[in-house]
Amino acid sequence: MSKLGVFDVSVRYGKVPALNDVSLHVEEGERVFISGPNGAGKSSLLGAISGAVSTSHGRIEMDGDILSGRPPEAIARLGLSMVPEGREIFGALTVEENLRVGVGIRRDKQAIESDISDIYDAFSILGERRHANAGALSGGQQQMLAIGRGLMTNPKLMMVDEPSLGLAPNIVDQVYETLVALQEERGLTLLIVEQSSARAARVGGRMILLRGGAVVGDGDAAEFAQQDLLKEAYFGGSQKETAQ
Amino acid sequence: MNNVAQLFFDAASLGGIYAMAALGIALIFGVMNLVNFAHGDYIAVCVFALIVPSSEAVAVMFLGHAPAVVLIPMLLGIGALLAMASEYVVFRHFRRADPVAMMIASFALGFVIQNGLLAVYGGRPKAISLWPDLNTPVAIAGASVPLLQVIVIVATLVVVCSLALLLKKTRIGLEMRAAAENFTMARLLGVRANVVITGAFALSGALAAAVAMIMVTQTGVADVRMGGQIMLVAFIATVIGGMGSLPGAVAAGFLIGAVSVLLQAFLPLDARPFRDAFLYTFVIVSLLLRPQGLFASNTSKPRV
Amino acid sequence: MHSTHTQKRLRALSTPVILILILCAFVGLVTLFGDKSLARMAAQTMIRVVFVVGLWIFVGNSGVVSFGHAGYMAIGAYASAWLTLKPQTKALFLPDLWPWLAEAQWPVLPAAIAAGLLTACVALISGAAILRLSGIAASIATFAFLAIVNTIYSNWDGVTGATSSVVGLTRYADQWVTLAWAGAAVLVAAVHANSASGLALRATREDEVAASASGINMYGHRLLSLVISGFFVGVAGALFGHSLGVLNPGSFYLGITFITLAMLVVGGVSSLSGAVTGVLVLSCLIEALVRMERGVEIGDVAFALPSGAQEILIGVVMIIVLIVRPTGLMGGRDFQWPKFGKTT
Repeated sequence: MSKLGVFDVSVRYGKVPALNDVSLHVEEGERVFISGPNGAGKSSLLGAISGAVSTSHGRIEMDGDILSGRPPEAIARLGLSMVPEGREIFGALTVEENLRVGVGIRRDKQAIESDISDIYDAFSILGERRHANAGALSGGQQQMLAIGRGLMTNPKLMMVDEPSLGLAPNIVDQVYETLVALQEERGLTLLIVEQSSARAARVGGRMILLRGGAVVGDGDAAEFAQQDLLKEAYFGGSQKETAQ
Repeated sequence: MNNVAQLFFDAASLGGIYAMAALGIALIFGVMNLVNFAHGDYIAVCVFALIVPSSEAVAVMFLGHAPAVVLIPMLLGIGALLAMASEYVVFRHFRRADPVAMMIASFALGFVIQNGLLAVYGGRPKAISLWPDLNTPVAIAGASVPLLQVIVIVATLVVVCSLALLLKKTRIGLEMRAAAENFTMARLLGVRANVVITGAFALSGALAAAVAMIMVTQTGVADVRMGGQIMLVAFIATVIGGMGSLPGAVAAGFLIGAVSVLLQAFLPLDARPFRDAFLYTFVIVSLLLRPQGLFASNTSKPRV
Repeated sequence: MHSTHTQKRLRALSTPVILILILCAFVGLVTLFGDKSLARMAAQTMIRVVFVVGLWIFVGNSGVVSFGHAGYMAIGAYASAWLTLKPQTKALFLPDLWPWLAEAQWPVLPAAIAAGLLTACVALISGAAILRLSGIAASIATFAFLAIVNTIYSNWDGVTGATSSVVGLTRYADQWVTLAWAGAAVLVAAVHANSASGLALRATREDEVAASASGINMYGHRLLSLVISGFFVGVAGALFGHSLGVLNPGSFYLGITFITLAMLVVGGVSSLSGAVTGVLVLSCLIEALVRMERGVEIGDVAFALPSGAQEILIGVVMIIVLIVRPTGLMGGRDFQWPKFGKTT
């Protein structure tokens, strides 16, 4: 059984379809990138899985539990964590309070405290500023905080929506290093939205390509990066530019 | 000098009532973007719970007979239950709806509650004397101040501080603050929406009950329409304070109390009946100058 | 292409015609088959049509909920009373009126129009301030406006008679006069809604940001709609006074604000037909409930609703409609001629 199974899921906003009969599977411990142009339905897919967006058709399962139809808080309790696009940290709360919002679903008090100190070890800047308002952190620091906050629910599957958005390349490298290290350490399954196939290939993993609300490709990230390079060579521009 | 002290006590005790009412409204707005027009009617229900249901002009004490140690928690409980019930029966069905639809629904709910009271208790205002001893004056700082005013000021401080502690130090408080800032994100982190919203309504209803006890002791009158005026002022305090900001609501409540006491004291005699008109004009002007609220910080997102 | 466009315009203009026919049929049937009290109810209903259609001109097109229109109604009602009451009456009850107003004794129609115009001016001034806000802040500001008007009119002893009633208004507003005004309101509302300004305003209702990005002057269009809206609501106030013969500031406060908003919501705020439908449906419901409160006999059993049941039930109906059918009975649609021939 797959860790995560998405079966024929459709999402529409009013009459506008965002996802059409999408099916995909993610195995335990896997790292999967979701890629595709703007409006391909990447965020709608993550929203549907996390329960923030309601589906009009189809079924989503995690470890055999049916997720579709459950509210987001119930899905979080089943072990799914979401690091949303734009980070969505609580700016008026302190760094530490941000981390603690998600621990309400856990009962292992000691493990919570050691998880918090682990996060402060991994991101020392968060430890230094633990009592500062999170709104005062820089974009990169907020991304770290959002990831840390996502980990505090002790998830089995973590979804990260465009972690590279608005960050300088060297910070993005750092974010991915941390994600990979965390995954190896904790045996997490990761589902990451990433526009750049080159970036995904460098980190390594499987890649699923969405376009127009449907899956149009599924394979090793390195192969997609290769194809994109070829296209660039033929058409003299990136794929995005030729599309426009 | 006496006059100044007197004005101060008047302003602080009136402001305290406004602040508590505004807190009740701001709490709900912060958590679920609901402008709750029924809040004033929660206050009226708590007042009428003190007396025996009848349309007679003379009020007979019902719950009002109970000693304060029993009465206070009981009334706070009634307020909390009423608010929670209204959430369960009405507002829960509006989770995915437009805030404007929810606002109109709360207006309708308030109207239903008010007419329910009218049907049971009749339309005439009734005299109630709850804790009349509290209106005996005591001398403080050269001013003669009814004991109640002192109690109101102390009670407001106690309520505001304990609310602040609750929000700052408890699990549900943290969840409420997170939910107030970004409801969906809080739910994605496993915060139970229903628990947080029910908790906020319970607190808001208890605050309404506190306001009810103070108002009835101070004025000695139970009137079906008594919630309307205080609700309006509380709204205004909430808006001026920056919708959903709790410290802002408290500060604005005190500010409005002060402005209205000062207007009462210094307006020419002819203009005094129009005091409230000046007050509301001041509100529109302050909204125009700072639509995000007088006390909203610049970093906070505009919510309206 | 051109013909379908023309047809569309024609169909849009058929809406007011159909609505006016419905109103005529309503008043005609009630007058033919009802008693005197039903005829009064028909007049009250038409006054509510004038008010709610007036309210719709602003709320329906702009999407901003106004709690302040009962205040505009009060302004129109008192203005018409000032202009039409006998100078002797005014000297007695309203001694502080300005001299020219104290001596005025206008015919009723110019007085009603003047009342509408004065209200439109007040709407222009108050709207110039309030409409700088948007969303919920604007709604709260309209509420503050209502409270301002109520405070002033309840305390301005020598000019409004404060909380004691102004009596002696000519009771000329029967069902036919009010029907004529209701028809005028519907017609103007339809013309405004289909004008460039009305269409632009409705675009801002759908998406404020996109509309302002495409260069629509939202503030100007909102203000214009509030001024037109104010005119008819002021006229509704004048008619209200001249149908009961008595004015009291308490009539123009939360009660009427609630009932008229309920009508707008139950009918459906996003179409003119919704506004009219809401008034007719709720007015009939109110009439039925009032009669049941007085007591009806079903078979041999006398049965009466407790007093206050009417308001409670209306409130409950409003909440249920909001939950079950948030777009109202009409669901945002308008009555139109059926499409002919080939349609696209």
